[in-house]
Amino acid sequence: MEEITLTINGKKISARPGSSILDAATENGIKIPTLCHHRHLTPVGACRICLVEDEKSGRIMASCVTPVSQDMAIRTDSPTVRRHRTNIVRLMMANHPESCIVCSRGNKCELRQVAADLGVGITGLYPMPYYRGLEQANPFIIRDLSKCILCGRCIRADHELVVVGAIDYNLRGFRSRPATAHDMPLEKSECTFCGTCVSLCPTGALSIGNPRYVGSPEKESATVCGFCGVGCTLVMGSVDGQVVETNPSHEDETVNQSTLCVRGHFAHDFLNVKERLTRPLIRKGGELSPSTWEEALNLISERLLSIKKTHGPQSLGLYGSSKCTNEENYLFQRIARSLLETNNVDNGGNVNGLSTMNAVAQRLGGSIPPARLSALEDAEVILVIGADPTQSLPVVGYFLKRASRNNGVPMIVADPRKNGLVPFASLWLPLSPQTDSDLIHALAAILYKREAFDARYIDRFTQGFDLYQKGLAAFDLGRASRSTGLESGLMEEAADQLQGKKIAFVVGQGVLLQRNGVQTMHALLNLALMTGSLGDQKRGIYILASENNGIGALDMGCAPGFLPGRGLVTDEARREYWERIWGVRLSPDPGLSMVRMVEEAEKGNLKALYVMGENPLRGFPEIERVRRAFQNLEFLVVQDILSNETGALADVVLPGAAFSEKAGSFTNLEGRIQSFESVVLPQGEAKPDLEILAQLAYRMGQADQDFSLLKIRREIRRVIPAYSELRDDPGQSWVTEMGDLGQADEEGHPVEFTPIAFAADRLRDDTYPLEGILTSTRLHLGSGTRTGLSARITGFSQGGDVELSFEDAARLDLVNGDQVRVSSKYGAVARRVRVKKDLPFGLVYIPVAFYGNEARQLVALTQPGKEESPGWMQVSVKVEKIENNEQ
Amino acid sequence: MKERKKVDWEKIEGIIKKHKNQKWALIPLLQEIQETFGYVPPESVEPIAEALNVFPSQVQGVITFYAGFSLEPKGKYVIRVCRGTACHVKGGKSILRFLKKELGLEEGETSSDYRFTLETAACLGACFLAPAMMVNKTYYGKLSPPKVTSIMSQYNKDKGETQGP
Ligand code: SF4
Ligand code: SF4
Ligand code: SF4
Ligand code: FES
Ligand code: FES
Repeated sequence: MEEITLTINGKKISARPGSSILDAATENGIKIPTLCHHRHLTPVGACRICLVEDEKSGRIMASCVTPVSQDMAIRTDSPTVRRHRTNIVRLMMANHPESCIVCSRGNKCELRQVAADLGVGITGLYPMPYYRGLEQANPFIIRDLSKCILCGRCIRADHELVVVGAIDYNLRGFRSRPATAHDMPLEKSECTFCGTCVSLCPTGALSIGNPRYVGSPEKESATVCGFCGVGCTLVMGSVDGQVVETNPSHEDETVNQSTLCVRGHFAHDFLNVKERLTRPLIRKGGELSPSTWEEALNLISERLLSIKKTHGPQSLGLYGSSKCTNEENYLFQRIARSLLETNNVDNGGNVNGLSTMNAVAQRLGGSIPPARLSALEDAEVILVIGADPTQSLPVVGYFLKRASRNNGVPMIVADPRKNGLVPFASLWLPLSPQTDSDLIHALAAILYKREAFDARYIDRFTQGFDLYQKGLAAFDLGRASRSTGLESGLMEEAADQLQGKKIAFVVGQGVLLQRNGVQTMHALLNLALMTGSLGDQKRGIYILASENNGIGALDMGCAPGFLPGRGLVTDEARREYWERIWGVRLSPDPGLSMVRMVEEAEKGNLKALYVMGENPLRGFPEIERVRRAFQNLEFLVVQDILSNETGALADVVLPGAAFSEKAGSFTNLEGRIQSFESVVLPQGEAKPDLEILAQLAYRMGQADQDFSLLKIRREIRRVIPAYSELRDDPGQSWVTEMGDLGQADEEGHPVEFTPIAFAADRLRDDTYPLEGILTSTRLHLGSGTRTGLSARITGFSQGGDVELSFEDAARLDLVNGDQVRVSSKYGAVARRVRVKKDLPFGLVYIPVAFYGNEARQLVALTQPGKEESPGWMQVSVKVEKIENNEQ
Repeated sequence: MKERKKVDWEKIEGIIKKHKNQKWALIPLLQEIQETFGYVPPESVEPIAEALNVFPSQVQGVITFYAGFSLEPKGKYVIRVCRGTACHVKGGKSILRFLKKELGLEEGETSSDYRFTLETAACLGACFLAPAMMVNKTYYGKLSPPKVTSIMSQYNKDKGETQGP
């Protein structure tokens, strides 16, 4: 398109047709003050601060909403413009309460800035602030709407970015203000407390509930959120070496831009709790007591080496972390493999579903090619299965809701309950739990019968389609309809929406942690291959990694059976590659998963365990078994940032550093590798985890090696081709193909179709007639070790109730708020009940991570992702009312 | 406490259905509900939002923006007393005070039997009649307390009959 030329303040510039005068000016370094404008929001022209003058006509117009036109001549700072602008600011100030000195927006208040730039000190008007009352009943957001200038940024953030719709303008004129439906307080509205509106409010009208600090922090530094697999970029404000507030960075190239979720925005107050570990501890006479680093590290190195000598390398286990950095996980597994000579090394991401992903990734040569979240917004069709990202990975939820509401992308949501995405879905498939694989086969069979498959793609990239199509042709759709509980018409309708399109699959823990998880993943991969939906950015399989560095830990080889770069330990060629690099012999034994390590500790075969940044004594099922197994160990080391349940059993506890206290890199679910620097120093005597590991390696016989961050990064870049772009400076790079493995491309091996089988019927158990489903919520992450220490999260009175259908509640004589006991073969929890109108009967939803994560005790300790595992997600339960006198 | 008005759900759902999937349907839909019920029952905000695929807060925003919509049921007779300049000069304020006492209502309130709602207006456009008021669509001018009493007695005549609308 032709560029448009115009002059601004006498300077000739050119601009894209359709761009606003404001954008054209900004691009050319000409500053125009704004208040209601934000580049991530639709311009509305509400405040009129950005007025400019048309030199020819003398017309005054709002530059943020006026497009450029050919030969325009604009003045941004003429006396008329200044006069108008000053008057607008004077009016705003006269309407504003005089509480600037204690305002939490502090020096970042844009109104104050604009007024200062215009030299508006005293307005000369009669002050008439309009007190609208202060609202601070919830621990997250304070609303002082007397400071509201009605710019509407909060409303647009809420509607356009996070697509929640909790607030909108209410009333008119003087009384106008943003309000919720029925004008209820935020906690009684749809608000998710993502805080996006807060970070975009130009004034102090919306602010973070902060008992620690009011005003502008002394220092602000960028980092990456330590919670979920989205990997939002954060800006943390700190005062006196402590993080006091968190905001999105607002940078365009980040995954989250101006958004965050309640955890990222508000739960990082856990960083300052008294439970933080600040010095090494050694168990002496049964008690953990403070020691020096020297003493602790020497003890660990001596004990590990001597146990290895006496009982062999297989008696050692190492449990790395989906929350620790790539560099740390790399060194951790390198210590395990090259110094301790064991493949017994795992990380927490694997029990959170990534082992299920791995089980099928082998068909693709190691990894499912990651797809970018931004591509969801212009996908052809989206199929969400086993996931409610509006709770688990909220920013993914924003992408999906925007795709559907703003861009009209069809979105099919398969979930037994009406989850948070369903109102945005083009079709909801309320299938019975654990029947996802039957549904996927059925969709494939319908598409096959309609000849809606991508023959060229199949031909080029796959093999075994012959057998697969026979399976599809013979597939019993009637049986699938019965098992899934979905009428055939509904499945046909889903096929209508999928037909002829490339599909973007969004897969969550509902699939990854279920009994039929592996089967479902295989079925999904078949459907993806058949429709040609793998391989570029507008389609693909999005695995909702629940933790911030689950993917990175896996890529670094912090998993039994997998070498760095996702090569199999059992693959001799891969082993030889790493033997050359590390100069050692590697064990061909695939090693133990953490669940298996618990079992071996029970039997007395595993003697020592080193746990870094995980808390299995809160996260694992059958906690008493795990406790006994750990007590059975000769030596337990826990390296963590918090004193937690697992640390309480340890022989040595080492204080590590939280992500905000160290440098490193995390890899998000899209394969975005984000390098970051520290925001503050580690607490007390604590050290960055990489430094701890390096000192340990030094003591265990690698005194000649330099394991500094820069060295480790250089090694990773050199030896893991997918990480060849890992950056030393803060910023992002992308995972490239996984070595010689990688994606379905012309040179790659053809991808095999797998046979079709019906999911096993649910085992009926008359004692436990209901299906309990463990579900995560947006308030907590994982087992809640960290979020459970956030005063804001725990101070919020909502969440944690078990949910039941009307029918079941009626049958059990339960009403909202009753106390119930939910029990399974393995354990029981007592909770408050909430009766939900959209739930199918027979299901009980039990949120995890609340109350010490006791909900995990309902399921059995088996490795998710193994064919025989019943999964960590669903279990047969019964529900009984707890009468008042029992409490 | 005033008893909450019972909402005729069938009627509301009928109106919503009529407008569902129509583009720009929100305002005509709200108008129809307002005309049918004399107000927009707050309970209808969510169903309307769901049917039109907008957020409840947006529906609420539109209702509170336009003076023609009300979230509270109004009385059978809506009395609007003028507080414009002409009426003010001629003692409009004392007429308002008198009505408040007579009806036991404050501005914006509705009597517990949903008979009267007392409101004020900026100018009724009948300044020559100042001080003026309106009851539903009828104007009354050159008011004095006795005149107001006699007007009000007219509207109290049908007391006891079933309420509309
Ligand atoms: S609360 Fe803040 S963001 Fe929202 S309209 Fe008021 S000033 Fe603007
Ligand atoms: S916190 Fe988030 S959900 Fe709540 S009103 Fe603000 S933008 Fe909307
Ligand atoms: S928890 Fe996940 S979605 Fe929330 S702010 Fe952190 S990275 Fe983003
Ligand atoms: S910034 Fe342009 S009108 Fe507010
Ligand atoms: S001032 Fe009362 S009618 Fe105009």
